[in-house]
Amino acid sequence: MDPLEKIERKRQARHRIRAQRKRAGTLKARVVAISLICFALLWGVVFVQMATGNDPVLGDSSSTVAKGSSGRNRHAAKAPPAEAGASTDSEEFGATEPEELEAEAFAGEPAEEEPVEVEAEPVEEEFAEEEPAPVITSQS
Amino acid sequence: MKGEAHRRFECFGGTATIHVCGANTAAGEKAADLARMRLLDAHRRLSRFSDKSELARLNDDPRWEVPATTLMRALADAVGKAGSLSGGLVDATLLDRIERAGYRDSLDGEPSMSLRDALASRPQRAPGAPRPDRLWRSIGVDENEETVIRPPGVKIDSGGIAKGLLADLLADQLRQHRAYAVDCCGDIRVGGHAGLVRRVRVDDPFGEGPVHELKLRDGAVATSGIGRRCWVAPDGAAAHHILDPASGEPAFTGIVQATALAPTALLAEVYAKAALLAGPKRADEWLPHGGVVVRDGGEVDVIAAEQLLTAVAV
Repeated sequence: MDPLEKIERKRQARHRIRAQRKRAGTLKARVVAISLICFALLWGVVFVQMATGNDPVLGDSSSTVAKGSSGRNRHAAKAPPAEAGASTDSEEFGATEPEELEAEAFAGEPAEEEPVEVEAEPVEEEFAEEEPAPVITSQS
Repeated sequence: MKGEAHRRFECFGGTATIHVCGANTAAGEKAADLARMRLLDAHRRLSRFSDKSELARLNDDPRWEVPATTLMRALADAVGKAGSLSGGLVDATLLDRIERAGYRDSLDGEPSMSLRDALASRPQRAPGAPRPDRLWRSIGVDENEETVIRPPGVKIDSGGIAKGLLADLLADQLRQHRAYAVDCCGDIRVGGHAGLVRRVRVDDPFGEGPVHELKLRDGAVATSGIGRRCWVAPDGAAAHHILDPASGEPAFTGIVQATALAPTALLAEVYAKAALLAGPKRADEWLPHGGVVVRDGGEVDVIAAEQLLTAVAV
């Protein structure tokens, strides 16, 4: 192989390597950019969902039932049995937005009281209609 | 509870209440009315403040053996049981002494002396003790002859024992209903075949809100205390209606009110009075099914049950 041909081949090889590096860089940049965009989009969705009050945890069906039931029990405890029986579950849930539930839980009450209400729910539910009138024992 | 009948009326120098939840509203109302009539009738027959009552006639009768109705025989029997169960601390033969202390007539209404004033005027504290002669042992019943037997002059004080007894008797008649509660002026019996839990609030002897709340499915609660009937005795000292059997004087033991749980109201009444008379150090020994004790200073001791009652939740 003559020297000129040798030089030409080296030049072509360097050119291919450079082009290859350029393609790899472009590909890396695209991957990073797409990853960043996807990451930002996902967090954006979560942020918007949380900011609008549609917390997916609060939106879970079992939790909604628990909170809704405790609210109903408080209502039933104050109202006479006939009134409590007149309102349906759908009416109760329809009237109570998640924002209101959160506001209710935090407005003027210690935050730790909320789970107590939810825990006490099954007992109150059981006796909401069936509990007999209390009696008072005093000195005879 | 929906469909539960309620009756509230004056009886035995206090307020009685009856709650009945029957198979339907009419059944509950009818049962509550009947229970009210029976309780008022029993009051007329067992009151020591009426000369015409069966109890007054028995106490004045000079014979050893006196014909008596079923109710009177049940009371006489209960007097013996109360004395026996309490080792003589609950003694229903102290009528002469309580009348001597100034409790001759019914003390309905406000006490003539406040509990705090009574406690302040009598600083000495001592537990009660049985009367040495134990006259309650001399009272017997002959069911065949339908008589009450006792030495002439031994007088029975219906007091708390009659209230507990009547709560039990009415409970027997109401047990076929879904839920019921009979409150004979603090001696309460609850139950019913539905097995519902009923809340029982323990009143504050110093006039504040309830000091504790019990939950009862089937059983009894009774409260004995010195605060409701306090007066100034003829000697000028503070007096009340719970006497120390040994001394015959009003008992100031350090406890102003004791509440007892038990399977029956009569037993609860005996436990409550015995706990009060035993004083703060030994009160819990008289509350095997649990209870609540209020001391002179207003301190509230909740005694846990040593023996769990079947289907009773505290």
